Amino acid sequence: MTRASIFASASALCLGLLLSIGAGSQAEAAAKCIKGDRKAPYTIGWANIYSVPTWMKQTQGTIEAQVEELKKKGLVDKLVVTDAQGDANTQIQQIQSMIDSDVDAIILIAGSSSAPARVLADACAKGIAIINFDSLVDTDDVTAKVNTDSAQWGEQAAKFLIDSMGGKGKILVLNGPAGISVSDDRRKGAQPVLDANKDNVTVLAETNTPYNVAPAQEAVTSLLFANPEIDGILSLGGALSAGAVLALDKQGREQVPISGENARQFLELWKEKGLKSWATMQPNWLGAFATYVAVQALEGKDVPAFVKVPLPVIDNSNIDEYLARAKDFPADGYIYSPYDQALFDKLLAQQ
Amino acid sequence: MSATTDTEGGRTIPLYWPVQANRNAGLGGLFVVVLLFAIAYGVLFPGLFTLSGFSKFTQSWFPLALVAMAQALLMLTGGISLAIGATVSLGAVIAATTMSGPLGVAGGSVVVALAGLGFGAATGLIVVKLRLPAIVVTLAGSFIVGGAALLILPRPGGAVPGWLSDLLAGNTPTAFVLLLAVALLWKLYLATPLGLGLYAAGDNPVGAYRSGVPVDAARIAAYAISGLLSTGAGLFVAAQTGSGDPVIGTAFTLNSIAAAVLGGIGFLGGQGTMRGAIAGSLLLSLMISVMFFLGFTPVAQYVAQGLIIIGAVALPQLRRLKR
Repeated sequence: MTRASIFASASALCLGLLLSIGAGSQAEAAAKCIKGDRKAPYTIGWANIYSVPTWMKQTQGTIEAQVEELKKKGLVDKLVVTDAQGDANTQIQQIQSMIDSDVDAIILIAGSSSAPARVLADACAKGIAIINFDSLVDTDDVTAKVNTDSAQWGEQAAKFLIDSMGGKGKILVLNGPAGISVSDDRRKGAQPVLDANKDNVTVLAETNTPYNVAPAQEAVTSLLFANPEIDGILSLGGALSAGAVLALDKQGREQVPISGENARQFLELWKEKGLKSWATMQPNWLGAFATYVAVQALEGKDVPAFVKVPLPVIDNSNIDEYLARAKDFPADGYIYSPYDQALFDKLLAQQ
Repeated sequence: MSATTDTEGGRTIPLYWPVQANRNAGLGGLFVVVLLFAIAYGVLFPGLFTLSGFSKFTQSWFPLALVAMAQALLMLTGGISLAIGATVSLGAVIAATTMSGPLGVAGGSVVVALAGLGFGAATGLIVVKLRLPAIVVTLAGSFIVGGAALLILPRPGGAVPGWLSDLLAGNTPTAFVLLLAVALLWKLYLATPLGLGLYAAGDNPVGAYRSGVPVDAARIAAYAISGLLSTGAGLFVAAQTGSGDPVIGTAFTLNSIAAAVLGGIGFLGGQGTMRGAIAGSLLLSLMISVMFFLGFTPVAQYVAQGLIIIGAVALPQLRRLKR
């Protein structure tokens, strides 16, 4: 080895050390809103917008489970839960009450993408860790936002469907309610894929129904009468998929490739009817993850401002694993993918 | 009502206070419940007695108080509005889209006020002149106004100047002062011919008409003022949240009716007082905060809310039965 190369490798080593020290000190920097004056055990406030739907109940279940785990570690001592009953104004008042009672962290699903911004800024100024998940607020005054990508959902569903039809055919598109950002975003994500295949794939009709089985079944039933030939169904919600499968079944029509979601009823129909299908999900454990992130931030760890959670995928290779756990979930509920702390740490470490 | 006097055996007795006491009669129970809740809130959250604590609470309450008044005003004339929530949303989106533009805060406020007065007056004209049921007209109106709000601002957004947000919904009790001012204006309004006609028009429209009360004008004016109060509440919500949301007001329709009924306003018109409606709205607002500090779970909150409302309405009736 020449002197020059020794020098080069030594300086490279030094540079590497320097870089790693830099990265290390960056990792120690506090996350947004965190002042470092709050000490464990923490009180967590969970500001729910509406507690009644099954998805919300299951999400709260994951939060409670996470809190129990953190309690064992002495990191959390109390979970405060509010339910705004769908009213964004009530949610603001409840977040204000959380600030008044000096909780250490607030995790929330927002009832409006703009309205809570000011009250969250107040909370942030008080050093409260704020983790916003599922329905997000347009503001930077939060510690972190956590969500999946609804557009990607639509894109992947459309890709699966077109592939499974052999690249061509006539399809129905089933959407959630009009004017709701989630259903809009999923539909928008599907559009580029449909456009790219527009020579071979024809959209016969689209529906907008609530994310419930009965209205979807009714809507699809009437479309079946009008369309004797259907090659695939692009469904952007699990209950919608279940409704469509039931509609086809009642009419004695052959099942066609269909996209879906992790709704237990749909997954069971998938297996029972031997469907050609694919499903993803908005994992309920986003709630548990948000709780975990809040505590990590309070503990002084740096957390990314936005954590994009990859969409878990269910296909024929792993559906049995999901159905094996079905009995642990409500009949009208969602069988979410398994999660643990290792997954959470991995999600936090990404990017 | 104005302070008239009556002579009895040569003595002059001011009628004002006995009349007011009589009007409070059915409300005793509600006032007691509200007071209990206020005390409970103060005990649970001593920060309420700081300027900023008091300011923040009254800010949460203020828009509900305004819409409760807007609804009570109509119910006193025998009407009702299912468009209150949509009108609040309209006020909020107009404020959020105009105030940071060339119109500025003053211009934006004028547009908000005109929109409320205009929509209210139009509803009133249709209800009164065409003799259509208010519930149907205002239901249709809620779709029109709600749609208009979505046209103006399809997704939540817009902005209200920061200083206005800080002025109306900062750490000063501006909202409470405004509420006192509105209540005072209501007192003054009741002394005008249109205001005097309000109760008469609701209680006995034919009799009032035959006595020369401008029944139609009083009712149309009530709708216009109700619209103004609703868009005003919307403006406040926009300032409070710093932005506009086209569906932010939805829950106010039902809550305004709940507050008014809780406050002893009858559905048939001519019954009840504005102070009752305001107290009703205060109870609804206090309930949310008190149940939070009591640590009620959401499910328990649903049950407790129902029990409190029934209790507050039933209390005066129970006392009457006892007598």
